[in-house]
Amino acid sequence: MAKLKSIVEDSATEPVDLSNFGPETTVEDVGLDSLTILDLLYDIEQEIGVEVEAKEIIAFRTIGEITQLLIDKGA
Amino acid sequence: MKTLIHLIEFGLARILLFLFDTLPYRFNCSVSKGAANLWWWVDRKRQKVATNNIIRSGIETDPKKARQIAKRSIQNFSMMLVESLRSDEYLEGEDWQNHITLDIKPDVLEVLEDPERPLILAAGHFGNWEIAAHLVSRYKPVAGITRGMNNPYIEKLVKSRKGRYRFRPIPKHDNNAGRLIEELNQKNILALLFDQHAGKYGVMIDFFGHPAATFKTTAMLHLVTKAPLCYADCVRTGPMQFTVTTSHLIKQAPTGNKQDDIKAILTTMNEHLEHTIRKDPAQYLWAHRRWRD
Repeated sequence: MAKLKSIVEDSATEPVDLSNFGPETTVEDVGLDSLTILDLLYDIEQEIGVEVEAKEIIAFRTIGEITQLLIDKGA
Repeated sequence: MKTLIHLIEFGLARILLFLFDTLPYRFNCSVSKGAANLWWWVDRKRQKVATNNIIRSGIETDPKKARQIAKRSIQNFSMMLVESLRSDEYLEGEDWQNHITLDIKPDVLEVLEDPERPLILAAGHFGNWEIAAHLVSRYKPVAGITRGMNNPYIEKLVKSRKGRYRFRPIPKHDNNAGRLIEELNQKNILALLFDQHAGKYGVMIDFFGHPAATFKTTAMLHLVTKAPLCYADCVRTGPMQFTVTTSHLIKQAPTGNKQDDIKAILTTMNEHLEHTIRKDPAQYLWAHRRWRD
């Protein structure tokens, strides 16, 4: 979760408030728009070493769901 | 009142389309050229932008010659509209190959002919990009971002005409990564024009030696989805005659340095576009403010 928080922070184009970052946080809450989602996917693949299919992550709305997907993929 | 204005506009558009559909192609071209000349003299701002862009690119340094290229560029854009309105008449027939010469590189052709592989096709505002989209739709459906019309009746009319070939318009307001990825998941062709000013969303990439804010969507889609990517252009070689050319596949595996990866892809795309423009500068749409510093 901490690693994901750091990646999200780097992917956002503008400074975002991540003080309440947690499983229930939505992608909109952390300022991820359609373009920064692509940045996030790139960073997840490079930094966590998990290849996530774009269609998988696009369907998710919360950080908790993304975390679960990464765990399912062995991260 | 607004509805009435929309209906009047729609009526005029129908009449114009009827005339374009029934009158001889060469006559339409003459009308189009006349309209472009009128536009050229009326819209002094665009005239200046286009001329300055040509001078800045270094393609022509003499202001008088640059103005001539800029004027022909407007005429070519107007011609493009006429050609696009009549494209199904020429491209849907048995003799479409009499109008189009193809220079599609073997690796790109392999992707086009494989129903299980999508393709990101990047192009600039050069020649007739609508014809290029129409042509590649012979291989698989093409999706592209389109600017919506303010008039809903004309919007419907335009959609019905584009629907004649396998083109799936993605409205600009619905232009999110999920929508674009969905097209790639469906193994379609995603046609993207990449040479517009990207503003704060852009990455500064040299275009004719000057940094220009360039959209990174094309590059990011390739890096993330691994979908094959190529550059394409469609040069007008005569009346309703075109040559559609593609690059080889542009390949960039993620290296871990995102900015460098994006820059490498976008630089390659800009270099292809510059090469195309140098061959016939008047076929490029110079009236767009590509550099805004």
